[in-house]
Amino acid sequence: MKTKTAKLSLGAESFPHYRPKLKEILVTFILVLLALTVILPLILPWMFVFKTRLEFAYNPWGWPTELRWLNFVEAWKVIRIGQGLLNTLYVCLGAIVCTVPSAAMAGYVFARYRSKVTEVLFYFILAGYFVPVQMVLIPLYQLCGLMGITDTLPGLFLPMTAFGIPFWTIIYRSFFVKLPNELAEAARIDGAGHTSIFVRIMLPLAKPATVLATLLVFMGSWSDYLLSLIMINSADRYTMQLRVSQFLNAYGADHMPRYAAAAIIAAAPTVILYMIGHRWIIQSTLAGAIKG
Amino acid sequence: MNMNVKAYAMMPGKKKMKTRDWNALLFKSVLLLPAILFLAVFMYYPIEETFRLSMTRSTGLGPTQFIGFQNYVRLFQNEEFLMGLKNALLWAFWSVCIQIPLAFFIAFSLSVYKNKITKPLRVIYYLSNVLPSAITAMLGKFMFAPRNGVMATLSAKFKWEWLGKIDFLGNPDLAFWSIFAVATWAYSGFYIVYLMANIEQIPKDIQEAAQLDGATRWQYARFIVLPMTSYALRIVSLLCIVGSMKLFDLPWLMTSGGPGYATSTLGIVLYKNGFLNWQYGRGAAVGVIIFLLSLFFTILQFSLQRKDRDA
Repeated sequence: MKTKTAKLSLGAESFPHYRPKLKEILVTFILVLLALTVILPLILPWMFVFKTRLEFAYNPWGWPTELRWLNFVEAWKVIRIGQGLLNTLYVCLGAIVCTVPSAAMAGYVFARYRSKVTEVLFYFILAGYFVPVQMVLIPLYQLCGLMGITDTLPGLFLPMTAFGIPFWTIIYRSFFVKLPNELAEAARIDGAGHTSIFVRIMLPLAKPATVLATLLVFMGSWSDYLLSLIMINSADRYTMQLRVSQFLNAYGADHMPRYAAAAIIAAAPTVILYMIGHRWIIQSTLAGAIKG
Repeated sequence: MNMNVKAYAMMPGKKKMKTRDWNALLFKSVLLLPAILFLAVFMYYPIEETFRLSMTRSTGLGPTQFIGFQNYVRLFQNEEFLMGLKNALLWAFWSVCIQIPLAFFIAFSLSVYKNKITKPLRVIYYLSNVLPSAITAMLGKFMFAPRNGVMATLSAKFKWEWLGKIDFLGNPDLAFWSIFAVATWAYSGFYIVYLMANIEQIPKDIQEAAQLDGATRWQYARFIVLPMTSYALRIVSLLCIVGSMKLFDLPWLMTSGGPGYATSTLGIVLYKNGFLNWQYGRGAAVGVIIFLLSLFFTILQFSLQRKDRDA
């Protein structure tokens, strides 16, 4: 009798004496409902994206009658998505190229060459993790003006790098600390110098951290809005997010089908990358938050 | 003694050791240089400049003029800033009161009622968190759009006139809550995942002991999980509060701080002062206030925690 109820209920092995069936089903139902509220808004754009403007005006909520890709093509032309994508990609690549090696190198030193000096320097970098970008926006803009890089894409990814380095240095440091020392010792006895130990042995071992950093720095700089808004003025250098929000402000919800197409393109990379790497992404985000 | 060391190092047999130390120093410096350079140039120098600028009258053109604390005094007489400050504090209060209990409920339910349906849900809840904020804002705007928006369509379809009459983003009393709802949708995923990770770290034998004593799931939640995750709850509350101080993307994209100043935030006040009115000094003063508020709440959190540990 008892085993039967346990079998019927979905996950009763914890708390077996408690009759969980009804409650568990209820809670599961609520959880699914809440998950639907997360999912449904994400599906919305797909309802409009295959419609013509006329169709959308008369029947915005009907199921799409046929798969028209025209809106993607039009959005591509009107919102100049091609250029937006190129600009964003450039920024992402720049941020990755600047952030990941700097953080890896610093994290390595902090993990393997501990001394009073490096400890102080580590706190210097760690403190940066708590600095909100908002606080320094104005001097940052002025600084980029002095350096002549306002309204250029490097002017966007160089500050981004500075604000990304602290987190990834922490991650790399904790990664390198965990690696066994014997390998480095053996290499040293074989006559390898500091550089070759780092480049040939340690860095390849830290590949998971590197993949993760690359992935998340990409997603972060892809999604950035605030810094782009401030640094970039000319439409030629607009990033994807700026283009999408500018279009929304200019045309409102009236051009929804075309707009939806642009939004889907602007959101797709982060969503797809999240789908692929969600386990890692969640884990590393937690690691960062626990440190903070 | 120093001489001795030098002499020792100069000895032919030990020469190698000294060169290696030099190598190490060079190696370390080269490796640390990029990170430190980036932070010094793009973070610490601007921080110093923020403090300096906040004491000056500066428009970006012409000379800057030292004016002491005048910017701050002016800010506290400025309606928009006061509104932004009030909104930031209200936002912090309500996100701690609404988003975190909601996230705790979901996280606890997900980790206690584990079955085939609930297991993959964690990944879904976090999904809204990885969406670019510009896209989140557009979804929110579309949700509340008076023409063809989700709410408008619902009211038309079901003849709910009361729903059609509500102006979600245009009504000053409601706009805050409309944005808050979107933010709850967008940010809760992180709190859920974070709390869940902490709930699952509670040793299994504690759960077993609780069930042997005949505790129900909700008693288990109240008397065991809640106290054992109090640290995690404090951390997410802190993140919530600090996030509220620098809130910008969602309110700016959805209402630009309007109608009037109803949804103004500190981030928006800074942006408007600094980049729309070219009042660098006053904008920087807002930046300093954001920083001080964040610092204040961080210190408060850690001192509360220490007190707890001492008791």
